[in-house]
Amino acid sequence: MLLSVEDIYVHYGRVPAVRGVSIGVSEGEIVCVVGPNGAGKSTTLLTISGVLRPSQGTINFDGQSIVGLTPEAVARHGISQVPEGRHVFTTLSVEENLRLGTRMRRDRAEIEADFKRVLELFPVLAERRRGAAGKLSGGEQQMLVIGRALLTNPRIMTIDEPSLGLAPNLVDRVYEVLLELRESRGLTLLIVEQSSERAIKAADRIYVLRSGEIQLEGDAADLQDGEKVRQAYFGFTEGVEHAGEATF
Amino acid sequence: MEVVVQVIISSLSLGSFYALGALGIGLLFGVLRLINFAHGDFITVGGFSLIVPATAVVAVPLILDFHPVALIICVVGVVVVWALASYFLLFRHIQTAPPAVLMIASVALSFSIQNLIIMIYSGRPKAVGLWPELTGVIPLSDKVQVPILQLVIVAVTWILLILLTIFLRRTPIGVEMRAAAEDFRMARMLGVNATRVIALAFVISGALAGIMALMYHTQTGILSFRGGVFLMLYAFIATVIGGMGSLIGAVVGGYVVGIFSTVLIAILPEGMRGFRDAFVFGLVVVILLARPQGLVPTRAFKERV
Amino acid sequence: MIDATTPLMQRIRHFWPVVNLCIGLLVITAIVVALDDRILARTLTEGLIRVVIVVALYMFIGNSGIMSFGHIGFMMIGAYATGWQTCCPYTREMFMPGLPGYLLDNSHHFVLAIFLAGLLSAFVALIAGIALMRLSGIAASIGTFAFLMIIYSVYLRWSTWTSGASSVIGLPQTTTPWVAYCYAVVTIFAAFFYSRSKFGLALRASRDDEVAAKAAGVNVIGQRLLAFVISAFFCGMAGGLFGHFLGMLTVDTFFLNLTLITLAMLVIGGMQSLSGAVVGVVVLTVVIDLLKNLESGMFGKDGFVLPTSSTWVVVGVVMMLIIIFRRSGITRNAELYWPFKSDITAEGALRRQS
Repeated sequence: MLLSVEDIYVHYGRVPAVRGVSIGVSEGEIVCVVGPNGAGKSTTLLTISGVLRPSQGTINFDGQSIVGLTPEAVARHGISQVPEGRHVFTTLSVEENLRLGTRMRRDRAEIEADFKRVLELFPVLAERRRGAAGKLSGGEQQMLVIGRALLTNPRIMTIDEPSLGLAPNLVDRVYEVLLELRESRGLTLLIVEQSSERAIKAADRIYVLRSGEIQLEGDAADLQDGEKVRQAYFGFTEGVEHAGEATF
Repeated sequence: MEVVVQVIISSLSLGSFYALGALGIGLLFGVLRLINFAHGDFITVGGFSLIVPATAVVAVPLILDFHPVALIICVVGVVVVWALASYFLLFRHIQTAPPAVLMIASVALSFSIQNLIIMIYSGRPKAVGLWPELTGVIPLSDKVQVPILQLVIVAVTWILLILLTIFLRRTPIGVEMRAAAEDFRMARMLGVNATRVIALAFVISGALAGIMALMYHTQTGILSFRGGVFLMLYAFIATVIGGMGSLIGAVVGGYVVGIFSTVLIAILPEGMRGFRDAFVFGLVVVILLARPQGLVPTRAFKERV
Repeated sequence: MIDATTPLMQRIRHFWPVVNLCIGLLVITAIVVALDDRILARTLTEGLIRVVIVVALYMFIGNSGIMSFGHIGFMMIGAYATGWQTCCPYTREMFMPGLPGYLLDNSHHFVLAIFLAGLLSAFVALIAGIALMRLSGIAASIGTFAFLMIIYSVYLRWSTWTSGASSVIGLPQTTTPWVAYCYAVVTIFAAFFYSRSKFGLALRASRDDEVAAKAAGVNVIGQRLLAFVISAFFCGMAGGLFGHFLGMLTVDTFFLNLTLITLAMLVIGGMQSLSGAVVGVVVLTVVIDLLKNLESGMFGKDGFVLPTSSTWVVVGVVMMLIIIFRRSGITRNAELYWPFKSDITAEGALRRQS
C-alpha cells in the first residue's frame, strides 16, 4: 500500500465526522470514495493532508506515519491535494498559479519539462498564461488546479469532487484527463465523488462512505450494476416490497 | 488657488503616510488575519531607538548620531527585530485562533510596549532633532511653499511601493506571499512554508514601520510613548476602507483617508473641525455596513470574516 | 462535594454561582471596610465598579462571542450624563455652559441620576447597535472600536457640555464601598438572569453556530442588539459610579487604557462565564494593587522598588500569556458551583473543551 488510512476518527468539537474509516490506495491505482453530502469524505481528505488531526487512528504513506504533520510537510511527502471548490489563486496569473506547484522541487531541468507538458495537456492554460486565474471559467480553473497539482510531481493525487459545479461535458473531459495521466505516467489517484455512477466508471476500487463510516468496499468491476453501491449510499433499498416490510 | 495646491500636497503626503501604515497592517492581515494594533508602537519603538535608554528629560543621542545610512539600517533593524519577536513569542502560538483573539492579543502587546517605553524612558515627551535639514520649505511662488519633508515622504512612499510590488510580483517568495494572503490553506497544501511566509510578512511590516518611524519623527521632532498610536489608528482605518487584506486596497485606503481628513479640515466650518476624527471613524462604520469588503475587495476577506 | 439530587437542591444549585460571587464580594467588602484603611477602601471601591463594568462586558462579549472595544464609550456617556445632573451646582454653568436650562438649574439624587445615565447609554447603544449589530466577527469588533473613537472625539470637542479636554470637578463623592457593592450585586444578578433567560440562550446559540441558530429561528441581530443595549445600560451606570468615585471627570479616563484593563480582566478570568468576569476583576485588582505598591516603594525608600509603569507591563504580559496558554481563562469558562459538584451539563463540558 502506498497510502493506508487505518481506523481514523475525526471530530469537529465533540461531534464525530469520521468514525473508524480505513482506506488503502496502492501504487498506480484509482480509488474512489463516494457518499452523500456530509458523509465525511472531505473530512477524510483534509485529515490525510494534515489540515485536520484525527483523534485516533493512523495514516501511513509509503510506510511512514504522516499523522500530525503540517499540510506543507504532507505535501513535501508527495501527496498532492486538489481540495473541494477549485482553490485557484484568483489574483495570481495562470502561470504564477502553476509555478507555485513547483516550489517544493529542486530538479530545475525536470520542472521546465513538466511545465511544458502541462501546458500541452491543457492548451487553454497556455493561451491564458499571463491572465489572472480568476478570469478563467469553472472548467478551466479545474484544469489549472489539476495542472498545478501535477507540477508538484506527486506520488499520489487526492481530488475532492472534481465534478462539482461543472457542466457534464466538462466533467467528462476532467475524467478523461485523469485517466490519461494514469496511463501515461502511472499517476495514483484518490478521488472523492458524490456521483456513484461516475466513480464506478473511472475507479479500480470503490469505498462508500455514509454518516462517517465505510459502508461498502470493493472492486469497481464487481459493483458494475450499481445496486449494492446505491444501497450502501442511501442506507436503504428502493422498492415497493421493502416499503411494505417496514410497516410491520 | 494657493490653498488648493497646499491642500493637495499635504493630503498626498498624509495619504502616503497612511498608505505605508496600511500596507504594514494589511500585509499581516492578509497572511494571518491579524489586525495588528501594535503596529503604531513599532513606529514608536523605532523613534525611541534613536536615543539612549534613560528616564532623563534631555535625550542623549544614540543611533541619532550615526551616519545616515547606518542610522536608517539600525532603526529599521531594531523595529524588524521587535516585529519578529512579537511573531515568534506571541502570534505564532495563537495563529489558528479566531481573528478577535489575535486582535485582542495585539492590543495587549501594544499596551505592554507603551508601558515598557514609559518604564525605560519615562512618560514625558522628549525632543529629538532628526535630520533638521529636511524641515525647510521650497517656495514655488510668492504664496505657495512646499515643505521638503512632505515631498520626501511622497517620494519614499512611492519608492517603497515600487520595491514592494517588484518583490511581490517578481520573486518566488513574493508570489508565495500573495498566494498565502489569498488562500493560506491551499498555499500550504502546495508546500508553501507557513512560518517562513508569515515571518517574512512581519519583517516587511516591521521595516515599513521603521521607515515610517524615521519620517514621522523627523516631522514631529518629539518622541512620545503614544507617538505611533494615532498614526496606527488612521492607517488601520485605511485598511478597513480599502479592503482588509488587499494591498492595493491599503494604498487606496491610505490616500482616501489622507485626502478625506485634509479636505475635511479645509471645508468644515471653524467650530466643526475638532470633530474630524468623529467623521473619519463614522466613515469607517458606513463603509463596514455598506461595503464590508472595502473599496478593493479580496477573496481573503470574504472567506475569513 | 454536594451532589444535588432533590429538585429543591437542584434549584439551589442553579442559583449557587451568583450566591458564591455575591457572598465572596460581601466578605471582601466587609473585611476591607472593617480595616478602615482609606487607601484600601478606594482600591476596593474601584474594584467593585470594575465588577459592574466587566460583568456588563461579559453580558455582551461572553454571550455573543463578539469582542467589543466600544463599551468604555458607554461608560463615558453615563459618567458625563450623571455629571450633568449632580455635579457642582454652583459651578456647573462654568464647566458646562451649553447644558439646557433644566439641567443647569436642577440636580437629581445620584441614584436617580445614575439610573437615567444608564438609560441614556442604553438608548445610544440602541441607535448605534442597529447599525453595528448587523456586522459579524472581526468587522463587528472594528465597528465597536470605531464607536469608542467617535464617542471619545465628540466628547473631547463638545466642550460646552463636557468641558472638553479639561476636567469637570466637583462631583459629590457618593460612591462608597457599600454603594459600589450594591451596584455590583445588582449587575451580577442581572447578568445571571439574562444569560439564563431564553434570550441569553438564543444569543449563545448564535455565538456557537450562527448559521444553525438562524436556521432554528433565532433573530441573531435582534438578540445581539438586546445584549448590547442591556450591557450598555450597566456600563453607563458604572460610568456614573466611577464619576462619583473620582469626584471629577476627564475624557481621557474613558479611553484606551480603561478599555484594555477591563478587557484584560474579562480575558484573564474567562470570557464566557459570569464567574470568570468577577474572578478576573478580583485577581487583577489584587495584582495591580500589589504591583502599584511595589512601584511606590512599599518596603521603604531603600527597599525593592519597581520602575514606574511596570504594573501595566505585567498586566499586558499576563494577558498575552493567558491568551497563549489558557484561552478559557482562570475559571476555564466554568461557573463557581462550589460546594456543589461542578458543571456537568453538556454546555459546561463543551465550554471546558474550547
